[in-house]
Amino acid sequence: MRRYSAVIVLMVLSIGCMHDKKPETQPPPVATTPETATPQPAKSAPATGTKTPSTAKAKPAATSPAKPAAGQPAKATASSPAKPATASAKKPAPTATAKTTTPPKAAAAPTLDLDGLEARLKQTKAIGLMTKLSLKNQVDDLLGKFRKHYAGNATPTMTELRRSYDLLMMKVLSLLQDHDQQLASDILSSRERIWGLLADPTKFAALQA
Amino acid sequence: MTKRLAYSLLVMACLATPIVAQQDEAALKKDLTAVIALQGKPCGEVVSVTVLKQNDYGATCKDGNKYHVYENAQGRVIVDKQ
Repeated sequence: MRRYSAVIVLMVLSIGCMHDKKPETQPPPVATTPETATPQPAKSAPATGTKTPSTAKAKPAATSPAKPAAGQPAKATASSPAKPATASAKKPAPTATAKTTTPPKAAAAPTLDLDGLEARLKQTKAIGLMTKLSLKNQVDDLLGKFRKHYAGNATPTMTELRRSYDLLMMKVLSLLQDHDQQLASDILSSRERIWGLLADPTKFAALQA
Repeated sequence: MTKRLAYSLLVMACLATPIVAQQDEAALKKDLTAVIALQGKPCGEVVSVTVLKQNDYGATCKDGNKYHVYENAQGRVIVDKQ
């Protein structure tokens, strides 16, 4: 009798272990929170010492995707002083501190390049094999369109390419958002950076090489 | 004692196999549903799948559409309506 009960317990346990894989639920995106939080103190009164880094955080965050790419310090520095100038012309010194504080911020944000994205998409279990293949085909098609565009063809304009890129990103995100939220949020935060790589002919040529 | 243990293990294996197979089939249906949707073909949801070869399937959708989903020699996923 004891043996039977032991067998039954074993069976129940083994069947219990065979549930569907639960979705890889991970904490919701954290990359967006600093951006939403920082603009609030920007409008409040002076306190220059503490406030200026926060405004510096908020504005370069929008440009950060393109910043760590290859070597665009000129672009980033050009954009960051321009914005404080419109907001308040009284603080030239804080821009210098802003420049020093931005690199760690950009490093902290989880951004992916194309290789990283490819690797993460290969690894994820949120998408099935055939879907991955199909997505890869669509990525290849899009890259082919970019090649056409840069070869001098007028047919896929940059606007059309952007639309195709956004649609493809939406497809990827819709496939990932329920089962691999971390990857979905990483892709979301890298979206503009990847577009920056594709939209720049020199960077695109470097990618193809 | 060992015989009984072996017997119980066999029973467990027999019970477990269909569950694993069901899970695999559910994942495959979901995968093919996503593939068909990615190609912009009407389907809704894949309700039954026939494995023809490796990466070669016959899929029947909830709305009655049937598709042949396969990977061709060039590595492209093709969805043909049947």
